[in-house]
Amino acid sequence: MLSELLDEIPKFFSYYNIVFMLEATLRTLALTGIGLIIGFTIGVGLAIVRVFHGLGFVLPRFFAISYVEFFRRVPFLVTLMLVFFFFQVFKLDVTVFTVAAITVFLISASYIAEIVRAGFESVHAAQWEAGTVMNFTLLQILRDIVIPQSWRVILPPAFSFFIAFIKNIALASQIGVMELTYAGKVLNSKGFSASLVYGTILAIYFLISYPFGRLGKWMEEKLAFPKH
Amino acid sequence: MDYVIHFELVWKYVPYLLQGALISFQIAFLAFLGGMVIGLFGAMAKVFGGRWVRAIVGGYVTFFMNTPQLVQIYFLFFALPQIGILLGPYEAVLVGMTLNAGAYVTEIQRAGFLSVRKSELEAAETMGMSLLQAVWYVIVPHICKVLFPPLSNHYIMMTLGTSMAAIFGVEELTGRAFNVNGITFRAIEIFSITAGIYVLVTIVASSILLFLGQWFFRVKAKVF
Repeated sequence: MLSELLDEIPKFFSYYNIVFMLEATLRTLALTGIGLIIGFTIGVGLAIVRVFHGLGFVLPRFFAISYVEFFRRVPFLVTLMLVFFFFQVFKLDVTVFTVAAITVFLISASYIAEIVRAGFESVHAAQWEAGTVMNFTLLQILRDIVIPQSWRVILPPAFSFFIAFIKNIALASQIGVMELTYAGKVLNSKGFSASLVYGTILAIYFLISYPFGRLGKWMEEKLAFPKH
Repeated sequence: MDYVIHFELVWKYVPYLLQGALISFQIAFLAFLGGMVIGLFGAMAKVFGGRWVRAIVGGYVTFFMNTPQLVQIYFLFFALPQIGILLGPYEAVLVGMTLNAGAYVTEIQRAGFLSVRKSELEAAETMGMSLLQAVWYVIVPHICKVLFPPLSNHYIMMTLGTSMAAIFGVEELTGRAFNVNGITFRAIEIFSITAGIYVLVTIVASSILLFLGQWFFRVKAKVF
């Protein structure tokens, strides 16, 4: 079995296959990037909506809370299928890549909203009140008081969420997005042995995820408030 | 647009889906238990073990935390038969999820072990507690309180992770949703009901965990 595997290796790492896997890796990264940038914007918006406590904001708050609770409690695969069939049913002509990207930002927005909210809550209530007393507008409070203090709290978990998300995107292979896991499926059905193909795919994921993880850990230590 | 939402066509499949949710729960629960056992030994090995043991456990944890669970299960499902180990879909998913959970739980429990300060043990000794008493009255309550919130969080994540089993043909909640979709072709209705069931199941699980945490371990942190 081992010798067969060794015979296969030169054939497996042919020029075409390597390019194929690299393209798939780039697509995984692109999905993560697009999803997270849009997701971050929406997530911050949702977190800000939850800061308002006035009576007029009951409805937006309710919407923000239900959005976050819904997407955090539905599996990636089910959300993916909902978005996928939504586009199919309404006969909108979009690529599977777009479907996956939309799913990714819908879900990441909800997780990032929670992370940002936790960051906002880490700023003591007295500081918010002080800002109000100084007659700051809410945007000024956020910009000048809250965000300068809370970005240190927000960034590390947001980053580790981002790493976790690279791995979740493997599920996008189920609707036929040509990303890393799908590349593995294609190569496997081309007749390369499963252990070689999936071993390589696992190694590529590891090579992407591990450096980011180390970077995140470094950042966490760097940004942590000094312990007295 | 000629697609009309017809929920009445799929209502009769809701009990079928709910039974699927039971299988999802079963997978998540068994994998979590297995993960807890692996995590307990893994964390002990990482804290108290020698250099080689620590390196091996560390390698296991780093590998499983940095690769997608889906591809791990793919590997178990498609590559292990090459060396003569045949796993059925259910077993492959269960083994994959258990190993994955084991890695995460090892990290969580290790952090819990390390959170017990030396001064606490010294205080227990000063009070004249025996080792068993110190473990039972000082260490266990402390560790439980620290570990409960991240572990319950991870359990919820694992419940969502069980939907992966559908890809391998296990008939749990998502798998059954695919089945019903194949019969009725009412995709939007089926998957929104499925999503609703997932929301319901995880909210029930979160609430139970919240109460357990407050009653037994006086956890103040919120699960929601």
